[in-house]
Amino acid sequence: MVETTLFSLLHGLALWIGEVAQWLIKVTGIKEIQFIGDWAVTGGPVNFLTILLVCAIFMVAALLVGITCIWQERKVLGRIMDRRGTQVGMLGLFQNFADAIKTLLKELIIPRDADKKLFMWSVTGLIGSSVLLLGLVPWSTRFFVANPELTLLIGLAVFSLAPFFIMIGGWASNNKYSMIGAMRGAAQLIAYEIPILMVVLSIIIMTGSLNFNVIVAFQQTHMWLMFPLFIGFITFFVCGIAESERVPFDLPEAEAELVEGWQTEYGSIQWGLIMMADYLRAYVVSALITVLFLGGWDGPTFLWPEVWYLIKVFFVFFIMIWVRSATVRIRTDQLLKIGWKRLLPLSVVNLGIAVVMKAMGWF
Amino acid sequence: MVESSNNPRDKKLRATGYMLKPLWVTLRTMVRVSLPGHRPRTIMYPWEKSIIPDCFRGRPGIILDKCIACQKCVKVCPTTCIKMVQIEHETLGKVKRPEVNVGRCMMCGNCAEVCPTNAMIVTPEFELASYTRDDLIYDPIKLQHPWKAGYEINYEEQLPSNMKGPAAKKGSMELKDTVCLEAKKCISCSRCEKTCPTGAVKMTDTGEVNEKTKKPIKRPVFDDTKCVSCEMCVDVCPKDCLTMKEAQ
Repeated sequence: MVETTLFSLLHGLALWIGEVAQWLIKVTGIKEIQFIGDWAVTGGPVNFLTILLVCAIFMVAALLVGITCIWQERKVLGRIMDRRGTQVGMLGLFQNFADAIKTLLKELIIPRDADKKLFMWSVTGLIGSSVLLLGLVPWSTRFFVANPELTLLIGLAVFSLAPFFIMIGGWASNNKYSMIGAMRGAAQLIAYEIPILMVVLSIIIMTGSLNFNVIVAFQQTHMWLMFPLFIGFITFFVCGIAESERVPFDLPEAEAELVEGWQTEYGSIQWGLIMMADYLRAYVVSALITVLFLGGWDGPTFLWPEVWYLIKVFFVFFIMIWVRSATVRIRTDQLLKIGWKRLLPLSVVNLGIAVVMKAMGWF
Repeated sequence: MVESSNNPRDKKLRATGYMLKPLWVTLRTMVRVSLPGHRPRTIMYPWEKSIIPDCFRGRPGIILDKCIACQKCVKVCPTTCIKMVQIEHETLGKVKRPEVNVGRCMMCGNCAEVCPTNAMIVTPEFELASYTRDDLIYDPIKLQHPWKAGYEINYEEQLPSNMKGPAAKKGSMELKDTVCLEAKKCISCSRCEKTCPTGAVKMTDTGEVNEKTKKPIKRPVFDDTKCVSCEMCVDVCPKDCLTMKEAQ
């Protein structure tokens, strides 16, 4: 029996829409346009419509999860600080939408001497690359957008585009604070890319694949990679916090030193989109940790695999919030020292452990 | 996570002090706070009010019966937001009473502090928002507030900077500005007697007789026990023969 994937489910819907269109055209009785109705039920348009529907549904679901991450952060931080978090609507769930409307209604200000095209396009690039990441992480074997062989490689390639856009945004703002913040942000992101790649390399060695489905299937048959590669798990977690520019590694927007970092000049919905992109990247980091180390959608069968996946993602994000609430921001030199002197050797050690395990035939 | 050094301050930044202890503290707080029966510290403002301390200074209020219209509050107000206006009162009749522009008021409480009869008080009201600026000008009727012990400002002691002599209560005789008369300039117009709100000024015969009009010359005499040193007589004097003598 073929498992019902999101694609096959929506394929039936698209085929039905095509048949309705064919019937409607047939009802008109005009002979000259009958071929459009016949064409609507062929493979090409139906597949195209299916892909559009899949993208729409998956993106809406993933964005809702991203928004829920923001809500979760606000509520958990409220609990930790012994205060109420958001309060608009049921459990404060609508506060994010209220804030979105508020940022939308603000005036869009572009500095006079800024490079306007780059200033606008860097935000587009950042949010575009972040949203592209959403589609690369599958929720289960049946709920995904695309499933290429090299998903992990593509994902990390898109993930590492951020320093480029941050650099451009900071430079185009024509502001010293933005420029310094952008340089610091780029230095941080590049420094923490490398341990991530090394850890991912160890996972590739262990599982022998770059495909998320294969990686999760490997963990289902053996064990969650968190246990053999614990050092790598911790390294990946710390680097992921740094990559998504969260406390204690939020140097690019250190408001005490750099006003608001590289995003000083961005206001209105641009700022809203940048914040949204930050949270989407944090969600993607949580999703990567879930899929690579925590067995993805692996879990007892009384719940859907998608639910297990979401539970794990939210748990990882909760730990990120917890770390955020507990720690203070560190200095630039400390940050780079931790990146190059601690995490990089740790990731190399982790790689060695993976190689030894594979060579001994334990996995 | 920082390279070790002999500086004891750096111990805070090592892994245990930097990561594990704060993580434990926050986790403990979160668990304690999330247990049922605990209420967050947040004050749900429009529905709940925070508890105001006893010495809170909100908008000024007035007790119309006590006021003697001496204008001391008008003179002392640093932001000049108090003005005397004439009102028609049921029992008091046509009287002058202060009107406060609360929008300009900075809630310093100087008017209540200087008031000789404790008619001016500080109220605990702080929700003063309104839709127009006109609503913020409180006329004497609107400014009224029921008196409660503690609303008036009575300094038992003086500030060290003001300490010249022994501590004096408000209205006491020892440290009070008194009116000084320059008798040569006085024209016996008796305006000071009419304006004095406490009746401390009395025109009395000096025994001399004006040579032209053959009438006895009168000079004001000041009763220091009644005087509240409000300077109204000084202001009203047409020949500037009255001045305030500072308390020694």
